[in-house]
Amino acid sequence: MTEYVKLEVRRALRDPGFIIMGFAMPVLMYLLFTNLGVGGDSKDKADYQAYYMIGMAAYGALGASMGIGTGVAEDKGHGWLRQLRVTPLSPLRVVIGRALTAGVTVLPAICAVLLAGRLVNDVHLALWQWAATVLLLWVGTVPFTLLGLGNGYGLTGQTTGVVSTACMMGLSVVGGLWVPIDAFPHWLAAVSRWTPTQRFGRLGWSVLDGHAPTAGTVAILGGWLAVFAGYAVLSYRRGARTA
Amino acid sequence: MEKTADAVRFTAVHKSFGAVRAVAGIDLEIARGETMALLGRNGAGKSTAISLLLGLDRPDSGEVRLFGGAPQEAVRAGRVGAMLQDGRPIPRATVRELVGFVASTYPRPMPVAEALALAGIEELAGRRVDRLSGGQAQRLRFAVAVAGNPELLVLDEPTAALDVEARRAFWRSMRGYAARGNTVLFSTHYLEEADENADRILVIDHGRTVADGSGERIKQAVGGTLVSFDLAGSGSQGLRALPGVTRVEIRGDRAVLRTGDSDATVVALAAAGRIRGLQVVPASLEDAFLTLTGDHGATDDDGTAHDHGTAQTLIKEPVR
Repeated sequence: MTEYVKLEVRRALRDPGFIIMGFAMPVLMYLLFTNLGVGGDSKDKADYQAYYMIGMAAYGALGASMGIGTGVAEDKGHGWLRQLRVTPLSPLRVVIGRALTAGVTVLPAICAVLLAGRLVNDVHLALWQWAATVLLLWVGTVPFTLLGLGNGYGLTGQTTGVVSTACMMGLSVVGGLWVPIDAFPHWLAAVSRWTPTQRFGRLGWSVLDGHAPTAGTVAILGGWLAVFAGYAVLSYRRGARTA
Repeated sequence: MEKTADAVRFTAVHKSFGAVRAVAGIDLEIARGETMALLGRNGAGKSTAISLLLGLDRPDSGEVRLFGGAPQEAVRAGRVGAMLQDGRPIPRATVRELVGFVASTYPRPMPVAEALALAGIEELAGRRVDRLSGGQAQRLRFAVAVAGNPELLVLDEPTAALDVEARRAFWRSMRGYAARGNTVLFSTHYLEEADENADRILVIDHGRTVADGSGERIKQAVGGTLVSFDLAGSGSQGLRALPGVTRVEIRGDRAVLRTGDSDATVVALAAAGRIRGLQVVPASLEDAFLTLTGDHGATDDDGTAHDHGTAQTLIKEPVR
């Protein structure tokens, strides 16, 4: 299975779509939105640059983890999932291998934005805060990896790309990764609090504030994890059999 | 798994998809080390039979065994390699990476270089899969199928969409692998390919076995000569009753008689004054195949298309 993960990581890193969605876009958006037309005193600006760094790192990680599903759908279209079923690699290991691949590829996506924050915007955090942010955001991608896998196994290649991108954009916007939830109308902020992406962002934002994620955040993310896991299992059962 | 078990055994296997009976009772044994061709036209049930063999589908009834056990067991144990129909290698990996990965999933793989050499693509090892030509991609798929050094190699229409030269190279590779003592099963809709590359041919049609034997035996069973001539509007009455004639077919304004005694048939035709544009040719392999698979009625689209093909063969082949 290590060989499978190696193969898939290599393939992901050669995918221009993955590089754009997982690295280039989040870093570019981060640098643009934290430097263009940002007024206020320097304290506000520094806070905003740190806050937005988390939002964009989360957004990049979201893109990288959900991109896994697009890869699965592409493989299915090539008859590759079927080919794998006639090798000794068991179907379960194929799925786990894919999920682990996501685990590897989201790390550079998270680190790219954090590095941009540190090096370009001069964001200052304690060492433990950097480490905790990377770790929490990394672990927090698991529900989104499952959502991506669910899309990939359940849908056809083209539909997966569209649906995954829509999920990613929608969840990012409503979850307040692009625009802080404070700027939302009241009703939208209320919805946002229940989204997995808002809670995903809070994993990092709580570190900025110097404390651990709240029980509510962990519980809501846990709930979404269960929902997306169920979705992935259902899609897999439906899609992989016929693949 | 007992050592003596056949490589493949089908016992009264049935599989339907909705109302379509894709496999309607196939019995089959393939001994270890044997190369067998599964011959049939499109939709005859070849791919379904192969899916059942590989454990990708389960039979509705009957039993499929590989090396005396369930197909999945043999697959998990790394005893099977396959080249599936419509499979395309996945992009953004190199030839070496892809073959190396597949080999790594098997317990006793062959070295990657050996798999590439067997498929004739050593010089493409560093090439990205998405930059291969159609023929090269097909060879890569072969390399993927043999990379794990499986005892049983299954190839579903491996030469579809290959040109003549590539076909020849492909069959050389396949025979090279079979010569190592491995069991090979391949499907094709070309009788020539089956005849040239397999020890044994299983002809299937409408999901059933219609013939099973060596290419030579199958040709003998359905051999004979085709005598054709212009009807010139004189109708086909009485042709079936001519000496030696076993079948009559009308193609446009031409009658094609299959006969076991072409001399007697031609003499009788001459006596009846019906010789116009006469051609006498040995029944081609394709024609033998058509005889085996029956239904020459114009009701079957597929059958009609094959009939056109045969008619062309008749016109092209010189009288011997």
